[in-house]
Amino acid sequence: MIKIENLMKAYSNNHQSILKDVSVEINDGDVIAVIGPSGTGKSTLLRCINLLEKPTEGHIWIDGTEITDPGCDLGKVRQKMGMVFQSFNLFGHLTVIENIMLAPMDLLGKSRQDAYDEGMRLLRMVGLAEKALNYPDELSGGQKQRIAIARTLAMDPEIILLDEPTSALDPTMVGEVQAVIRDLAKTGKTLMIVTHEMNFARAISNRVFFMDEGGIYEDGTPEQIFDHPQKENTRRFIRKLKVLEFRIDSKDYDFLATAGEIDKYCYKNQISWKTAHRIRLAFEELVQQILVPVLAQPDIKTMIEYSEEEESAVMTVRYNGPAFDATQNGDELPLKLLESAVSEMCYTRDENAKRPNQAVLKIRTA
Amino acid sequence: MRTKGALSMPRMIPMKKLKDTTNLYTLKKRMLSLILLCVLLWAGAACAEDDAAAITSLEDLKGKRIGVQTGTTFDKIVLDALPDVKISFYNTNPDLAVALKTNKIDGFPGDEPVIRLMMAEEGGITILEERLDHFEYGIAISKTEAGEKLLAEINEWLASIRGSGELDQLVRKWTDGPESEKTVPDYASFPAPNGVLNMATEAAYAPMNYYRGNELVGLDIDLAARFCEARGYGLNVLPMLFDGILPALQSGKADIGMSGITITEERKESVYFSDPYYTGGTVIAVLKKAAGTEQTGGSGPLQGENGEGAGGQTEPQMNSIQDSFYKTFIREDRWKLFVSGVLTTLLITVLSILFGTALGFGVYMTCRNGNMAANGITRFCMWLVQGMPVVVLLMILYYIIFGSVAISGIYVAVIGFTLTFGTAVFGLLKMGVGTIDRGQYEAAYALGYTNRRTFFRIILPQAIPHILPAYKGEIVSLIKATAIVGYIAVQDLTKIGDIVRSRTYEAFFPLIAVTIIYFILEGMLAFLIGKIQIRMNPKKRKPESILKGVKTHD
Repeated sequence: MIKIENLMKAYSNNHQSILKDVSVEINDGDVIAVIGPSGTGKSTLLRCINLLEKPTEGHIWIDGTEITDPGCDLGKVRQKMGMVFQSFNLFGHLTVIENIMLAPMDLLGKSRQDAYDEGMRLLRMVGLAEKALNYPDELSGGQKQRIAIARTLAMDPEIILLDEPTSALDPTMVGEVQAVIRDLAKTGKTLMIVTHEMNFARAISNRVFFMDEGGIYEDGTPEQIFDHPQKENTRRFIRKLKVLEFRIDSKDYDFLATAGEIDKYCYKNQISWKTAHRIRLAFEELVQQILVPVLAQPDIKTMIEYSEEEESAVMTVRYNGPAFDATQNGDELPLKLLESAVSEMCYTRDENAKRPNQAVLKIRTA
Repeated sequence: MRTKGALSMPRMIPMKKLKDTTNLYTLKKRMLSLILLCVLLWAGAACAEDDAAAITSLEDLKGKRIGVQTGTTFDKIVLDALPDVKISFYNTNPDLAVALKTNKIDGFPGDEPVIRLMMAEEGGITILEERLDHFEYGIAISKTEAGEKLLAEINEWLASIRGSGELDQLVRKWTDGPESEKTVPDYASFPAPNGVLNMATEAAYAPMNYYRGNELVGLDIDLAARFCEARGYGLNVLPMLFDGILPALQSGKADIGMSGITITEERKESVYFSDPYYTGGTVIAVLKKAAGTEQTGGSGPLQGENGEGAGGQTEPQMNSIQDSFYKTFIREDRWKLFVSGVLTTLLITVLSILFGTALGFGVYMTCRNGNMAANGITRFCMWLVQGMPVVVLLMILYYIIFGSVAISGIYVAVIGFTLTFGTAVFGLLKMGVGTIDRGQYEAAYALGYTNRRTFFRIILPQAIPHILPAYKGEIVSLIKATAIVGYIAVQDLTKIGDIVRSRTYEAFFPLIAVTIIYFILEGMLAFLIGKIQIRMNPKKRKPESILKGVKTHD
């Protein structure tokens, strides 16, 4: 069992901490997929667990041994915890079979013969027995990663950490490595895998960590995370939403600059010219023409979400003041124009929210 | 008629040399550079022959170039007599002779007996009739309390042998007598009830001090030995470069210095001088052709110098390769000198490689994990060692740091080169280990390897193949760099070459012989490292050795 308590990691060169206060328990036999946008500390979390990164604060226990304790015999703990790297990191001066035999002989005191027999068994398992006497630089990326997995397994670890094992591979080789990992997931070992392959993550894991905002943002079963994400960022990530948010807090806000923001956002996300025009139009009519004139002290938050997969855009506008359905009450011309840009509109009011009025506009596509 | 006698010799070297050596050494690449060297030398010699008007008097030397041995007082003497000459400095008399012959200088001053001997050995040089001045040689004694007593003792003894006429007799023996009579007492076997005197001398200044075969002889040695014998001292002779003698006395490395040292007021400030034991005159040596001297007969180049021989010199001078070879290697068993020189060079090189590698490795291991103090100290030491010319480092070690310790120059050289080689090895390791990807460490750590074991099992085996080619280069540089140990009284190959040149006054042959020997030594060491390089490269292993001791079929 892995137990993490108040883990914090900051790099000394920039003061922003990449992990802020992570606490989690991982049970034996869990297969955990760690997903999330880049730069949210997925690899850092993994590397903290076997102390390749030294945590700035916090404690980690592996099977009751606190590895963050300076007196801990780190070598012994690491022997029970294999790691597979994005860049394979096979030992370049040794043949494939020696790569696998080295650690069991050096660290577990296995005889040459035992290490060899076990090594060959593992090589057969990953389908590379015939490459036993080749050097790593003679192999393809997929073959290297399968060897790296065999090398990790040779130490018979209880926990295996896989840090983006297929990210450095040619798309044609991803399959062979995933197949090996899939088999691994069935062996009952504790697995923790950082990956960007959502389908793969969903297929092998029984638990998913979605990482964002410096920690485990949402923790749940694959069904929960992929089909019914509870939290906003998870939903956006799973649906691959591109989001633009801005706030207007004065009648005299810089309209042209805001319109420029929207243009830039559309351009960056390769939103089609027509859709971009409609987004701009919807914003202009609803916010600039209808809302700003009526609100005495405008506090308007606009959020535009664009889904690349569905090529659809949704604009959500939340604003203060008494109940006022901006999608129905306004001058005729703006409403007409709004209608031409939007396919569906709905208005809701939630008295408890900071900005009680909400208008959701589905931008017309195609 | 203009003679071509001696000058034709260097031009003959290149052609014959090739034939003589190609079948001996098949190192073709090295031969190629040797050919280049020979062509350059030949070109230099050829140039030297042509211009230059005859110089027959001091008057003709006005505005000309004069070469002077470093550390002597000749520059002052020359400038007093000929104020507008251009002075350049050379390390030894043989260098001056070569410079003269290759037209780098128009003349050089020297003590009359020395230059006369040089004329006898090597034709093409003559002296001007006029003398620049007269001078006196004294025994230099270190300025200490013990030195003061020694001074009185020496002066008393000198007065006694002058009175008896023995001094005159000895001077005549060394400056005018036949070579067979020029012997010195066997000072090594003196009982030394009053202690051993260390004597610094140049050992390249015939007839005052020089090597005959393996034996150090000359008037200076003879006198010192006789004094020691008479007064119950042992004698230990330390050969060194002339300009190292006074520092050796000041630092206490030597008790007395005898090397044809002229007594001057300036030198008296740093050492005591005995009463003079020799009075001579300074003469200027010039090219024979330049001096306009007629040839003795219509003889061809091969017998050009016949009959010039003096001081018991009777062998005919054939200016040919065989003759040069004979003079350089065979006469007086000089090959033994070369053998000892090669051994000294090899000893210094090999010990420096071993200790330097150990030092560099040890320092690297201490600094590897980024220990702040260790890194700081290392950076400072490396900055110090690398910033200094090696020759300066050696002299500082020899004369200052080990100034008051009786330590052989060889050990000082080994220490000096261990330091420089150690810094090189440190740099190579840093560079080589730096090329290893961070991921190799992480993979090893993740498997459970400790930091130390990771380094030795995973990192170093991969770094060594990167390091070895540059390491080989460092070793070759090291052999060449050891050529400067002559500065601290070590007789390595280069110094032996100088010593032999100081006797034969052969301009080129010893230089080329020394060059060839260096090439052979470098070739041998590079070959050895090449073998290691193959052994150390894990990828060059035979497939059957990879799985030795394992049954490969189930």
